[in-house]
Amino acid sequence: MKAFAAAVIAAVTLGVLAMFALTSSQKFAYQAFATSGARVSEPGTNLVGPRWNGAPRPDEFESEPHGKAEGEGSSPKRS
Amino acid sequence: MRRATTLFSTLLVAATLGVAAPAFAQSPIQADGVNPMGARPTADSVNEEFLFKQSDKIQGRISIPDRKAANLIQPQGREYQNFREGWLPWIGALVILGMLAALGLFFLFRGRIKMEHSQESGKKILRFNAFERFTHWMTATCFIILSLSGLNYIFGKRLLMPLIGPDAFGALAQWAKYSHVYLAWPFMLGVAFMFVLWIKDNIPNKVDIAWLKAGGGLIGRGHPHAARFNAGQKGVFWMVAGFGAAMSVTGLMMIFPFALTDINGMQLMQVVHSVIGIVFIAGILAHIYIGSLGMEGAYDAMGSGKVDLAWARAHHDLWVEQEQARTASGPQLKGHPAPAE
Repeated sequence: MKAFAAAVIAAVTLGVLAMFALTSSQKFAYQAFATSGARVSEPGTNLVGPRWNGAPRPDEFESEPHGKAEGEGSSPKRS
Repeated sequence: MRRATTLFSTLLVAATLGVAAPAFAQSPIQADGVNPMGARPTADSVNEEFLFKQSDKIQGRISIPDRKAANLIQPQGREYQNFREGWLPWIGALVILGMLAALGLFFLFRGRIKMEHSQESGKKILRFNAFERFTHWMTATCFIILSLSGLNYIFGKRLLMPLIGPDAFGALAQWAKYSHVYLAWPFMLGVAFMFVLWIKDNIPNKVDIAWLKAGGGLIGRGHPHAARFNAGQKGVFWMVAGFGAAMSVTGLMMIFPFALTDINGMQLMQVVHSVIGIVFIAGILAHIYIGSLGMEGAYDAMGSGKVDLAWARAHHDLWVEQEQARTASGPQLKGHPAPAE
């Protein structure tokens, strides 16, 4: 039973470590693929709107975009 | 008379031009297939078939760094979609349900393989030490989560979503995806540990052939000779090692998409990963069955690590002799666990 408990704890621990390691190497599409000459989508927005049913909220256009992504886009032009 | 001849000639020329002129106008190509201008506009025009002879996909030109976005047409994508949405669910259902049905039938006809009691019953022998059990259970718990979350990729939207609704299914599928990607790492580590720990006891030999010829104790009532692992367990070991390696490689290719291959390769990775995964699950179902419900006393090996000596003598007699010869004073037989290795 101790071996099983230790195995589960180790699996979860390694999984969390993998999560942090993988997340640190990920970039949003607008960061990875945008250049000074091309912009990939508008950061933090999507085509259907924040509510995903296409219907905007009354305060949608006065507040910050829903789920706005953080971080800067890559500036150097790579193509 | 002269006027009549002139009129007739005029009508003849007019009729000839009226019939032939449209034909010349519509088809400038001569009888030899070359038009008078020396060009074959229809024969040499660029079409889809011509482009696919040059490459397996048609690409355009883009200005963003993501070169994959230049892909316009990839016919293999239709074949992949046909497999993913057509063949794969049927293959998965047939293989996994087929294995469950086979195990159910085997249990009905063979029943649970009972422990045979002898004078050695009650004495314990250490079969797997703590680190071996730790490695086994870390790999096993990850495998169960990976299997369920993997099957959700195939069957979730078909079976689960109608039951729990799209919102709950969306949340569940998201967490299943996280668990699949992150628990793959301790699983890969566990497979590597198991490979190093047990490979020396899993090299096939002549004893395995005799074990297979005798039906491995599953068919009939006898117990053929076996060392630490019998031929069936060796089969499970090499299945886990081989399938584990294949799942790891194809899985890594999907965790880091397009790092080493293009869209064709990505689709191939998914096909290999899904098919092997299904066969892997079916194989492990048989392993779980024989290690728990199918055989009395077998679970103790990975539960407490110690098995009944009478059980060990019946199923792994060569291993027991080897252990007893190694520990001549018999410390394991007197209740003082010693490492099996």
